[in-house]
Amino acid sequence: MQGVVIPISMVPGDSIIHRINPLPKLAWAFGVLVISFATRNPLILSTLFVVGVILILVAQVGNAYLKVAMILFPISLTLIVLQSIAPAFPKPWTPIVSVGPFTIFQEGIYSGISMLLRIFAMTTWAMLMIMTSHPSDIFTSLQKIGMPYVLNFILTMTLQLLPILQNEFAVVLNAQKSRAMKGSGFGAILPSMVPVFVGAIERVQQLSISLESRAFGSSGHKTSYRRVRMTFWDILLIVLGIVFTAGMTYWIIVDKSLDWSETMVFHPAFAIGLVVFATLGFLAFVVIALRNVLQA
Amino acid sequence: MEPIIKVEDLTHIYPTGQVVAVKDISLEINPGEIVGVIGQNGSGKTTLVKHFIGLLKPTSGKVIVNGKDTAPLRVQQIAANVGYVYQNPNHQLFARTVREELAFGPRNLDLPEDEVNARVEQAVEFFHLEELLELHPYRISFPLRKLVGMASIYTMRPAVFILDEPTTGQDNITTQTVYRLIKKLRDEGSTVLCVAHDMILLAEVVDRMLVLRDGDLIMDATPREVFSNYEIMSSTHLTPPQITTLSLRLREKYDAFDNVALSIDEMVSEVQKFSNK
Repeated sequence: MQGVVIPISMVPGDSIIHRINPLPKLAWAFGVLVISFATRNPLILSTLFVVGVILILVAQVGNAYLKVAMILFPISLTLIVLQSIAPAFPKPWTPIVSVGPFTIFQEGIYSGISMLLRIFAMTTWAMLMIMTSHPSDIFTSLQKIGMPYVLNFILTMTLQLLPILQNEFAVVLNAQKSRAMKGSGFGAILPSMVPVFVGAIERVQQLSISLESRAFGSSGHKTSYRRVRMTFWDILLIVLGIVFTAGMTYWIIVDKSLDWSETMVFHPAFAIGLVVFATLGFLAFVVIALRNVLQA
Repeated sequence: MEPIIKVEDLTHIYPTGQVVAVKDISLEINPGEIVGVIGQNGSGKTTLVKHFIGLLKPTSGKVIVNGKDTAPLRVQQIAANVGYVYQNPNHQLFARTVREELAFGPRNLDLPEDEVNARVEQAVEFFHLEELLELHPYRISFPLRKLVGMASIYTMRPAVFILDEPTTGQDNITTQTVYRLIKKLRDEGSTVLCVAHDMILLAEVVDRMLVLRDGDLIMDATPREVFSNYEIMSSTHLTPPQITTLSLRLREKYDAFDNVALSIDEMVSEVQKFSNK
């Protein structure tokens, strides 16, 4: 039942990062999210990304992370192409080069690169947090700081539903293949989507029954089977995370020289090369992905 | 006779764990044989039979079905000759109505539409599904869902029919349908592999049994020989049908009983022979 299943869930391990309480990890992932949205500066974003990757390597979850990055990569490439011809930037735009009906803009390339880095910085830190924390631990820690039980439950269930859906997809595809399913391409994949979603709804129904039969929603203090310890270092990490995020955000707002959209000038050859690479790269990924799905 | 399934030194290790699910198994199954596969939960029964349709590929060794090595083949290609009825019908059923479910397989075999319809009608009659045809497979009870799973493979008329725990969770009436199915398949000359914990079923229908323990094939013999082997039975925590145990005990006590009985009828005839002496 492997093949199309991508693990966006905990990767068991015993690294330093695995042993940190989920709360500081959550605080840092959230901090990186805030900073990433506050700035377009490529240097800050790429530093966040690189540090994130180093931590991923320290946590030894590189393989699982790489699978997620492989999906993000083609999506990010389309951003470069779209941004370069239609930047998400206030006009006037500075044209670099025109190819037929398309004009590549200076702001577009800048914006495309910074968005790509932003996506990678955020997801790297988010994946670091998800892949090194047990879902129940995230759940218990959030509850400790006063997150409502039901809201919390919805969040963790959603996190757990993703791998379930992926599994379900593989199961249905196998069932159809074992009855000599014909065809290839999207035509063959689409019919399996219907049972996957019907199955998912069915599962939610079963879940709600089994929840209610085990007194979900009753009042009173909830205890957890897994215990989460909060050490001095964890608290220090949280404080550092908050200080870092606030400090960075303040610096970004105050220091206008961090906006490099004017000063970072791209050579026309570089601009064309990047856009062509992104387009070809995206197409190549689509072809490879389709072939893999069909052969799985 | 050329064997329809040939397994050579098959070992399977799941990619997620270090567990060796199936260890170095070799066997041959001839066309028309009815074979039972027994063993405790986790002994490798399902892993073994999933190789026969290509849902799993050997980690090492070879599986040859119908003269072809399964390793380079896709499941779709093998499925024309091998039908696999899943243990959990929820993993097998996906169509919106039972009718569509039954027609999905034969349509994929490129059969003409009237042949597809004829096969669906035959299956409906055989499995008594008349009332369910227009219902969603998820809306019917678990035992009936299992019958629909078998019917959806039956319409494909595969040369090899694999049943994974067909009687688990079934009531008396649906169990009788499973008996009828296996006997009908035998009469039609199909090869049947039946993974089961239901020893009464196996005692009655199979000619040969494969006994698995922790991924090893520890015995390959007739049900009579397997049930009489006390060591094998206790080491796999399996118990023969009560009537067989009774017959074994009586044979121990009064050696006048000639054969081990697998069914009540056999027991009756043994007792008759004994009293005539």
